[in-house]
Amino acid sequence: MKLFNLELIKNKGVIIGLSTFLMIFSLIGILYSTFYSSYKKPINLGMDFVGGNELRIERICQEECSDVSPDSILENLRVVSKNKNLTNNVKLQLQNNNKLLSIRTPFLSIDESNNLISNFEETIGPLNYDSKNSRLIGPKLGKRLLINCVTSLLVSLAAISLYITIRFDKKYALFALLALFHDLLIVFGIFSWLGIIFSVEVNSLFAVSLLTIAGYSVNDTVVIFDRIRENLRIRKEGYNETIELSVNESFRRTTFTSITTLIPLITLIFFGSYSLFWFSISLSIGIIIGSYSSIFLAPSLLLKD
Amino acid sequence: MNRRQGWLFFLIFLLTFSIYLLLNYPLQLGLDLKGGSQLTLQLIKEEGRVTKDELEAVNSVIDRRVNNLGVSESNLQTLGSDQLILELPGEQNPLVASRILGKTALLEFRIQKEGTSTDLQKLQFQRMNIKDLIEEYTNIKNNNKGEVLLNTFEDSIYDIEQKLNYSSNSDDLYGKLIEIKKFVDNEITNLFIKTDLSGKDLVNAGRRQEQTNSNWEVLLTFSNAGGEKFAEITKSIAGTNQLLAIILDGESISEASVGAQFANTGITGGSATISGNFSAENARELEVQLKGGSLPLPIEIVESNTIGALLGSNNIFKSLYAAVSGLIFVGLFMIINYRILGLVSVLSLILYGFFNLALYSLIPVTLTLPGISGLILSIGMAVDANILIFERIREELYDGNTLIRSIDSGFQRANSSIVDGHITTLVSCFVLFLLGTNFVKGFAATLGIGVVISLFTSLNCSKTILRFFTTYQSLRQKNLYLPRENLSN
Repeated sequence: MKLFNLELIKNKGVIIGLSTFLMIFSLIGILYSTFYSSYKKPINLGMDFVGGNELRIERICQEECSDVSPDSILENLRVVSKNKNLTNNVKLQLQNNNKLLSIRTPFLSIDESNNLISNFEETIGPLNYDSKNSRLIGPKLGKRLLINCVTSLLVSLAAISLYITIRFDKKYALFALLALFHDLLIVFGIFSWLGIIFSVEVNSLFAVSLLTIAGYSVNDTVVIFDRIRENLRIRKEGYNETIELSVNESFRRTTFTSITTLIPLITLIFFGSYSLFWFSISLSIGIIIGSYSSIFLAPSLLLKD
Repeated sequence: MNRRQGWLFFLIFLLTFSIYLLLNYPLQLGLDLKGGSQLTLQLIKEEGRVTKDELEAVNSVIDRRVNNLGVSESNLQTLGSDQLILELPGEQNPLVASRILGKTALLEFRIQKEGTSTDLQKLQFQRMNIKDLIEEYTNIKNNNKGEVLLNTFEDSIYDIEQKLNYSSNSDDLYGKLIEIKKFVDNEITNLFIKTDLSGKDLVNAGRRQEQTNSNWEVLLTFSNAGGEKFAEITKSIAGTNQLLAIILDGESISEASVGAQFANTGITGGSATISGNFSAENARELEVQLKGGSLPLPIEIVESNTIGALLGSNNIFKSLYAAVSGLIFVGLFMIINYRILGLVSVLSLILYGFFNLALYSLIPVTLTLPGISGLILSIGMAVDANILIFERIREELYDGNTLIRSIDSGFQRANSSIVDGHITTLVSCFVLFLLGTNFVKGFAATLGIGVVISLFTSLNCSKTILRFFTTYQSLRQKNLYLPRENLSN
């Protein structure tokens, strides 16, 4: 039978070095984001968590949509809301040849948001209300959502850890969890960097993706550890060699599973709705990192010197 | 009939049943797929926690108001211990709903303190001035007439402030106006003494157009006890210069005198009208609020999400593209790598899809955008179980076992890994469903259902289909189950 030949024993140093590097890289991103970014948070929290108003609407244009000066839009905002701070925190985007207008502001009441739209209609021409997407989240609710997400993450991590400790003996459980935290830290770190460089924001779906990655990554590791345990029971070769053999035996399964999970995610990235874009990206990154840690990192940690 | 065939018939029965369900009970689509608005209402309590009774009471008041508004297919549910979620499907504008729902609508009847007539007249006069100024201000702002007029504006505001002996803190004009208005409303209310007649004594409210002009008035109908109280109150001030004020949420909306002819009996008949220059729209809003009763606790709209109908149907198409193309690519990948086994997994994936959707319409699960992404993601997880089994089968085949034996032990040996993997995912789903927001719950529900069904389809359906295949002699050749590169071996 044709097997892959990953030389885990020989490359243990490289693998642990690479993982350490990735984790330090993530930590730097998180620390930099906490102390030097404009938002002073470990990650760039989106509207779900800080509250605000997001409006996306298409314009109805005869042929080509004309340019809109940001100043005229800001002027509209000034009229609508008495909040002086408002105009300092506005993000404005025009996409699809100026057809799609999207604007993010701090929290507005429904009244104010409605006025804003009708004012827009006067300054930039007719709008297609059928294409409207407007989201309003109060700052208090945002804070609550954040607490909610963090609790869900912690609770389910605890539950998964508990399951693993019952299921495996201590050493295996410890390394499986280490691999899991490695994955989550790196995905988190990558989004910290994305926030610093491209001002990508995270919302509640990001927390969901972290949870899904956790389940997935542990699953991958469990499959390989199961294999290792099974082979150790009937082992013909040395301890380290058995581990290497087990990893090579499960290599196809783990990569194939990742590929079949990545395929739908990639179709979501390309065809899906924009609101699922970053969600699909973070899941994809998590699945790639998760497979790497299950195949290379977790078994390497089991190897004896 | 042996057990194997029994399973096959059972699967065919399940498939038919699923298709029947889907045809007769179409899937429920969430607002992000069909368009509409969703409002999250937060109950506000200064001290302590909101009790269950209070939440119930607010819920029923809001429910009555929404019904009186005539919104079709709306949906109201409680969220956690102090929030309500209101869904308004279709094109309905959340603005009207928000205006009507947000008000406490606390109705009071008060009588004027003796000897305050001059004070009241002064305040009433300033109230009128401010109302005019606010109207003027919005006109100027809307027409962008510029700064010139605003200077005279400031003077008028200053003038009013002088007369009221009050100075506002706000630093922009509109804020000042609103602040002064509140001050005046409050001063007026303070000139009146509370009575024991309130909104609780109403049995109905209605509206009609006044005969003399185009304004609207709101009709109040009291309960028996309320009617008696009203008669009592009107009797006590009939023919004096004390006025009767009707106060809504701390703002007096009508002050009227009671004629001397009522001095003996008061105004009887158990009804009253409020004619305070209402527009048709304002009258309707007040009518709906009074009919629904006043809110025991004030509420605040903390979240609103509006999605246009076109955007909703776009979202459906996009998700459908993603799901179908994802399935096709995964299917191709499986067939290329596992040949006959790949075909088996494609068939069981199709069953998987139908069972999932059928369960959504049976439970029922409202399908949302995150819900669809949960479904798409669970496709990958369902295939995972198949891959685990197939890899084991191939190993057994390479070891020289017969096809039937390899299949049997492949399923058996992959079992524990599959169950483990599914349990870890289920744990995450469970926590997400318990703690998550509505948005997140959709994802957790579909992923969780998917994981449970995949346990059934990967272990049972794949096995049954595979067994069925192997009953054909021509499909029993080993090399159909091994990848191409190994054919020469």
